[in-house]
Amino acid sequence: MTGTDDPAERSSSPAGADKAALDTVGAPPSGGAEAAGPARPRWVSQVLRWGAIGLSLVLVGTLGYLWYDSRLPSSYSVMSMGYADYGGGFVPAGGHQHAGGVSVATLTGPASGTPAVSMSLTARAGTVTLASGEKVSGYTLNGSSPGPEIRATVGDLVQVDLVNESVPDGVALHWHGVRVPNAEDGVAGVTQDAVPIGGRHTYRFQVLDAGTYWYHSHQVSHEQVKGGLFGALVVLPPGSSSGPDVVAQVHTYDGRRTVQGATGERRIVAAAGVATRVRVVNTDNGPLRVSVAGAPYRVLAVDGHDLHSPGPVVDQGLSIAAGGRADLEVTPPAGGGGAVRVDLGAGSSLVLGPSGAAVPAAATPASLLDLLSYGTPGPVPLDTSRFDRDFSLTIDRWPGFVDGRPGLFWTMNGHLYPDVPMFMVREGDMVRMTIKNDSGEVHPMHLHGHTALVLSRDGVAASGSPWWTDSLDVDEGETYVIAFRADNPGIWMDHCHNLPHAADGMVAHLAYEGYTTPYVIGGNADNEPE
Amino acid sequence: MRSLYVWLSRLIALGVVVQVLVIAWSTFDILNKAGDGVPFTEDTEANAGAMIHSVLGMMVIPLLALLFGIISFFAKVRGGVALAWATVGLVVLQIALAFASFSAPVVGLLHALNAFAIAGVAGIAGARASRSDTPVAAATGDPGVPASA
Repeated sequence: MTGTDDPAERSSSPAGADKAALDTVGAPPSGGAEAAGPARPRWVSQVLRWGAIGLSLVLVGTLGYLWYDSRLPSSYSVMSMGYADYGGGFVPAGGHQHAGGVSVATLTGPASGTPAVSMSLTARAGTVTLASGEKVSGYTLNGSSPGPEIRATVGDLVQVDLVNESVPDGVALHWHGVRVPNAEDGVAGVTQDAVPIGGRHTYRFQVLDAGTYWYHSHQVSHEQVKGGLFGALVVLPPGSSSGPDVVAQVHTYDGRRTVQGATGERRIVAAAGVATRVRVVNTDNGPLRVSVAGAPYRVLAVDGHDLHSPGPVVDQGLSIAAGGRADLEVTPPAGGGGAVRVDLGAGSSLVLGPSGAAVPAAATPASLLDLLSYGTPGPVPLDTSRFDRDFSLTIDRWPGFVDGRPGLFWTMNGHLYPDVPMFMVREGDMVRMTIKNDSGEVHPMHLHGHTALVLSRDGVAASGSPWWTDSLDVDEGETYVIAFRADNPGIWMDHCHNLPHAADGMVAHLAYEGYTTPYVIGGNADNEPE
Repeated sequence: MRSLYVWLSRLIALGVVVQVLVIAWSTFDILNKAGDGVPFTEDTEANAGAMIHSVLGMMVIPLLALLFGIISFFAKVRGGVALAWATVGLVVLQIALAFASFSAPVVGLLHALNAFAIAGVAGIAGARASRSDTPVAAATGDPGVPASA
């Protein structure tokens, strides 16, 4: 386009006069009216002029259309959003289901039975006073952030009454990593309506897997989670008399990195020679690098699932994806040699040891532990020899408009929100998903309601312990293949847990054939899950 | 149209200058806070300088450039269309370079270099348009016009 000639060429300046003269050799000026310089025939000027106007209109029109077309309606269902991807599996006769099917609202936890763990959580907006004294504006549950820790044992029925006292946008609680029935998943606009001020919502579900989980708001989550609307959920194995156990939720409040709501160093008294399980939860939006100084450590579990024969790790850090968890076993050296420091970055750390023990300085390990080859292979209750669905999810970054906003946005399989894939499955399907990231940034991919097994990364098969995950960091240039069984019917989000990315539209869904949701994004409840 | 062309070229060049100012502010602000122990992670809010840089660079300047390109068709500036669309092309390149720099920071050098190109080309276009404000056919005795492009 830069070469486009224009009517203005006729306005001569001496430097260009020669060229203009050359241009018109053999084509005499067409009329006295344009005698200012050697001119093109009038019709050529007219064509150029109208061409320029046309080109401008096309350009502005195209951009205008793209802008207009990207605007989201004030209310829409995720069922009608994007396009169905059947992953090479069964395609129902009706195609993309727009209506009909079982409502996800019916997929609740046990309606009867006395809960073993029962709790009421009251959400408030306002000032959060950190455990270390600083005040930041944000959100609290029962007056604190992080919210109360919920502890249950495998098989327990858990009941949580969520009350919204003063959060203007409404709230909803998602049980991150927990395989709950769909109606208990806590996603505003997909599995429930956001709870308005003065409202209440009860969650009831049985916890099936031991491990470290967390709960957080899934209404305007990129603001509410950041502001502190979250807490830990620990599920203990049945009948266990487990040893010392510490939860370490890492969160950045208004630029301050904290562990369990306190900035700086947090001291835990632990006897020398006795192992403590440190349950690290990354509640932030970026990867969390953890390193341990003072003694070797072991990674006992990732995303709530125990690893098989994890060996001691020395001089290597561990990266935990946003939303992910890792249980570390640390043991202050026997003989009272000193304490162990679990460094959580940005000045935040956990120090475990006998009181008064010498504390080692934080050290930055040269490399990171690779979970693909950590531990040894163990039994896998999943038949990965054949798959009913084979999905691929490729993440890129392209210029465009999302809801009228111009920018460079994350695309999923080349599409911008809301034109994103809806991965369609039937109950019982074995699903393989290939996640490829060409977008230039790491993305912590989080699938609700299921736990996936990592099969390979960049073509290299997993060779260590079975690695189950619900929050997987897929770095720039990486390709992960994961597998899971579609055994939990409903409509599930599959999104990036860097929540501002999700708010920019990095959200897909996994939908079971024959199920639909009565809830809408927007609508009267102003549902806005991200 | 011609004066609009001139003003757009000036606004674009001015925009580049402001971009340089705010990004320097942003960088020193980060260094200052990092010195005080503030962590800079995915969870850190962009500071004011970075925010302004992003809004100007992703929305305001591209919009001005596009308008500049369109206006050039009608402004009757000698070589003005080529210069205006060169500006548009450089702005697009600038955004691409910015995003390449997030994963490969050294590309940021080209991003900075290209900023000067944008300001330069827009500036030349504006200068040329305002110089030839003199009535067209009159200027036969001025052979010394620098044929810069």
